Amino acid sequence: MLDRASTFAHPKLLELLQTRFVPVAIDQAYERRQKDAKGEFYRRFAGQGPRKDFRGTTQGFYVTTAGGELLLYNNNRHPSKVARLVGDALQRFEGDAEKREPAAPIADGKPDPRWNPGPPDGGFVVRVHTKVLGGYPEPKNDWDRILQSALGRDNLWVTRAEHAALVAGDLPKSLLVRLARFHLVDNTRGEPPMWREDELHALEVGREDERISGTVRLATKDGARTFDAAVLGFVSIEEDRLTRFDLVAEGRFAGEGRYTRGAPPGHFPLAVSFTLADGTDLADAVPPQGSRGWLDGYLK
Amino acid sequence: MHTIHSGFAALLLPLSGALVAQDPTAVAAPIDTARFAELQRTLTPDAKAPWRTIPWRIDLLAAQREAAAADKPLFVWAMDGHPLGCT
Repeated sequence: MLDRASTFAHPKLLELLQTRFVPVAIDQAYERRQKDAKGEFYRRFAGQGPRKDFRGTTQGFYVTTAGGELLLYNNNRHPSKVARLVGDALQRFEGDAEKREPAAPIADGKPDPRWNPGPPDGGFVVRVHTKVLGGYPEPKNDWDRILQSALGRDNLWVTRAEHAALVAGDLPKSLLVRLARFHLVDNTRGEPPMWREDELHALEVGREDERISGTVRLATKDGARTFDAAVLGFVSIEEDRLTRFDLVAEGRFAGEGRYTRGAPPGHFPLAVSFTLADGTDLADAVPPQGSRGWLDGYLK
Repeated sequence: MHTIHSGFAALLLPLSGALVAQDPTAVAAPIDTARFAELQRTLTPDAKAPWRTIPWRIDLLAAQREAAAADKPLFVWAMDGHPLGCT
């Protein structure tokens, strides 16, 4: 979210990416592992940078030709620096135009099924947004201000059987457990730890007609990370199809994860919202963070 | 006690570990419909945020084919966690 709110707010960089590049956003944890044409193309250009051991993270900003020649790798998000480096890379691309061979388009081939998940047939996608509502100390700089006001984003995938159960007037346990374990998390400062099954201490949520309400308690064994939340939501069914799935969870969160350092001290207010995706946002197609590499485990 | 109530059919799950001490101030207050609407507004992303004006693609090979046809370079934002989702 730092990148979204800072780097990609720089006017020069915006203009360059809108007009002179084909901009792509990926979770490299997929591409660096994929045993297919997509993974091979990613590793071809990323392997020319400093992060060429694909067993670990290769995150950063890359500029590459369509033929896979790396023109820039950078993992510094300072807006002016990124804009300058990207502008320099464009100059090199254009300076080499006459001697560069036309790049051949790469066909998809057979995708690696583990790293190309799609939403369940007959199910649906729910947009998830998370926000820390208070508790931070006074921000020391612009980075603090961005982090402290950040909105976490993710998608919840719902299966065909759960969809059918909702239409029938039920509230499937599998959906509630997935919602709690993988989506009642603080992802506003980075990749969060999800909740293990034995960290779900109470999930007292019920449905009366179109209304869903209740409470959730999540806690690690040592109590270092906890979330106690109330839940309120509404569903609507029309012609055997779910047309509304709006839900919010609000409560007191405590703790942080390895990649979400900098949480407010003690217990702090956190809210998570869920709303049916309509496919109009490109991010609607992004797999849930909690499904990465083990879709079956996420959907069970 | 671990409890899961779903559709008002209560399911009681056995404890699998010691219960952690619960801070009494951490108990969540119920959400009424006014608060529900307020939270929905607060958690709606800004559709006009500058980064959303960039025509991001999320399929690397589709983008490669587009770049090859247009003779443009690719800018690849590669993160841990999806940049348009969780990161």
